[in-house]
Amino acid sequence: MGYKFDWGGISPSLPLLLQGLLLTIEISAIVIALSTVLGFPLAVARMSRHEIIRWPAQSYIEVFRCTPLLVQLLWVFYALPALLGITIPAVPSVCIALTANLTAFMAEIYRAGMQSVPVEQIEAAEMLRLNRYQILRNIVVPQAFRQQIPTILSLDISLFKDTSLVSALGVAELTFQGNILASQTYRPIEVFTTVALIYFVIAFPLTIITSMIEAKIIRSGTVGAPPSGSGRLRKLLPGSRPSIQVTPQPVGAGAIGGTT
Amino acid sequence: MTIQQPTGVDGIAVAPGAESRPASAEFMMMEGVSKCFHGRKVLSCVDFTLHAGEIAVLIGKSGSGKSTLLRIIAGLTKPDKGDIDMMGERVVIEGEYEKAWRAARAKVGMIFQSYTLWPHMTVRQNLSLAPRKVLNESAAQITERAERALSEVGMAHHLNSRCTQLSGGERQRVAIARALMMRPKLLLCDEMTSALDPPVAAEVLSVITKLKEEEGIACMLVTHDMAFAAKAADRVAYFENGVIAEEGDPRKLLMDPETQGLRDFVAAVRF
Repeated sequence: MGYKFDWGGISPSLPLLLQGLLLTIEISAIVIALSTVLGFPLAVARMSRHEIIRWPAQSYIEVFRCTPLLVQLLWVFYALPALLGITIPAVPSVCIALTANLTAFMAEIYRAGMQSVPVEQIEAAEMLRLNRYQILRNIVVPQAFRQQIPTILSLDISLFKDTSLVSALGVAELTFQGNILASQTYRPIEVFTTVALIYFVIAFPLTIITSMIEAKIIRSGTVGAPPSGSGRLRKLLPGSRPSIQVTPQPVGAGAIGGTT
Repeated sequence: MTIQQPTGVDGIAVAPGAESRPASAEFMMMEGVSKCFHGRKVLSCVDFTLHAGEIAVLIGKSGSGKSTLLRIIAGLTKPDKGDIDMMGERVVIEGEYEKAWRAARAKVGMIFQSYTLWPHMTVRQNLSLAPRKVLNESAAQITERAERALSEVGMAHHLNSRCTQLSGGERQRVAIARALMMRPKLLLCDEMTSALDPPVAAEVLSVITKLKEEEGIACMLVTHDMAFAAKAADRVAYFENGVIAEEGDPRKLLMDPETQGLRDFVAAVRF
């Protein structure tokens, strides 16, 4: 290998990279907070019995799920000012696009979680005369949210990494700063290795935390899991499932009207 | 084929074989109840009367319409046709639930086959949610009633347990206690012991007998436990192809079935 690594130029540039990281974290935090909240009403609309509510929600979700994120970022950045006649600065523009995208995915996660609550639990609540709102608030949402926390966190970690795409719009986040630095130092390998390490140092602990939460949820007995290999760290690595005793559950009676 | 109830004093229906029982008022009466699912007739003009404080056991093969009948009484499945009277009020007319249904439904509880406790809550939370939200009872009142309901089902020391820590039989007993918190007059039990081993199933079913004797709660059970049906039921109805093919005193019905279907059914479950 003829390439000679030179890490000397990286240390003086770390403040610049950390400044970019700060903006990356700010954008991620804003987008995650907004999407976590906005995803819920969208999921409820997506499950509505009324087509006039369900179809727009479903269309929204499909549009954002089936088009590339970079295209969405570019579209919001260029098209919204043209259509609305107002100039939106780059950071708010990417926050809007990323929130719109993540909200669609969040809504689907919430919907899947809510629909995974056994119908018998809802019928039992109906028999106790709880109304639809009370059932949603006290039975469906807590279980759905709890069950989907690992998926939500995985999506949030992906979003954190996907913020690198906003560098294409000139937003001075971590990847953008790395690009600038690489062009100034002519050391792209060292610079982008450092940038990758910074992303990893933030994202990896989050994946560990996600696995720990998942293990805790499974141990609580609401979700079953197959046993995995030994070793504490191994169990926590992404993709591994904790070793637990799974209590056999009876087969449910099925959907409404399904039994006779 | 449906069996018409013999009529007693003042026109009140008397279940066959009920002569030895003390006279009791009708709790629920249904006439001509029918239900189709996707073109398949699951219930066909079923007439059935349940007296206050009576235990009625519904037996029959899978798909014969037993669970559907319970679900119609519970209001979870809408009938296509038929009338239902509950506590003297007509609550379903020609398959449509009337306004009076809401009040009548308040007196009906249901226990399902699968454990329907809410797993993210403790036993206390499972028992207190509906009384707090629906009956607006105070915390102290709810705790007192929850302790009483749990002791009635032999689970007094489990008030603060997590539902996921309970065994299958314990969960079903907590499910009964949760239903009792809403002060039902009728409990509908849909194969609630089918996932339990026989000794645990017998314990759970003994709770039903106790509730009848001590609280006067009527009960309609779908079960394959013939020992329970013979011992504790006031009446047994045998379902076949969506109709009540045979109905009456459990001792007589199970020992000397009239229809070939029931003879085969009893022979299949007898060992």
